[in-house]
Amino acid sequence: MVAVRVLVADDSRVMRQIVIRTLRQAGYDWWDISEAQDGRAAFEAVTADPPDLVLSDWNMPEMTGMELLESMRASGLDTPFAFVTSEGSPEMRAQAEAAGALFLIAKPFTADVFRETIDPYLE
Amino acid sequence: MTFDVDIDAFQGTDPVYTIAEEVFSAMIDGEVGHLRAWAGPEPTLTDEVHAWVDVRGPVQGRVLLSTEQPTARRITRALLAMEPEEPVGDADLADALGEVANVVGGNLKALVTDPGALTLPEVSHDRPETTPEDLIYALSLDWRGRPLVITLWNLP
Repeated sequence: MVAVRVLVADDSRVMRQIVIRTLRQAGYDWWDISEAQDGRAAFEAVTADPPDLVLSDWNMPEMTGMELLESMRASGLDTPFAFVTSEGSPEMRAQAEAAGALFLIAKPFTADVFRETIDPYLE
Repeated sequence: MTFDVDIDAFQGTDPVYTIAEEVFSAMIDGEVGHLRAWAGPEPTLTDEVHAWVDVRGPVQGRVLLSTEQPTARRITRALLAMEPEEPVGDADLADALGEVANVVGGNLKALVTDPGALTLPEVSHDRPETTPEDLIYALSLDWRGRPLVITLWNLP
C-alpha cells in the first residue's frame, strides 16, 4: 500500500502527538506523518513539498488554520485539507466547508471518530 | 452581553461536567469513570496551577481550569503517553494543561450564541485576576482522587 503523506499542523506539541497517536490507533499506521508548529510553518512545508492531506488546528499563532487554507488556495495549492479543532459549532463547520475543507473533527475525538470521518475519503 | 451558559436549559445534565467528562475519557484516560463531581466541602488547592482560555468579541468570558501541580503532571503524562514516574518538563505541563483548557473552552464556546474568538491558552502558577461578582459558574471535580476546578467568568 502506498503511504499517505500527511502534515499535522498544531501549535500544541501535545495535541500533535495525540492526533498522530489517534491516527495510528485508527489504523493509519502506514501513513507518513510530518508536523508543523503553526500555520506559517505548515504553509512553508506545503509549498515546498505538498503532502496528500493537511490536518490542521484552527486557532494557532502566526497564521490560523483558516488563513493557512486560504493562503494555500490563493497560491494554487489544492492539497486536501481538514480541520482538527476544539471548536465544532455548526457555524465553524459551515465556515470550514465554505473555505473548501473536506471535514472538521472536533476535539475531544476518538480513534473511531477519525476512522468514520477519514475512511470515506480513502475509497 | 455576558458569557452566559444557561445550565438549567440542559434538563438536569451539567454541560460543563459533560464536556469535561468527554475530554478526560477521550484524551486523558482512554475510558470513562475517572472524573466525577467532588464530594464533600469545596476543595482547597495547594501548589496550584491554572490554565485558561478567553472568549473575546460580542460575548466575553473566561474558562479557567485550576488544579494542583502533581495532578497537572499526571494529566501531562497521560496526554503524552509517558511512563507513570517519568519527569515532566514545565513546557510540556503548560502545553498539556493549556490544551485541556482549550478543548473544554472550545466546546463551551459552542454553547454560547454569537460568541467571539477563542484566545490561545495561558497557563500560570498564579491565579489570573478575576473579581468575585464576575463568577458565572464553578464546578469542583475529582480526577483520580485529586481536585480539579472549572470556573466560568464574565470578562469586562
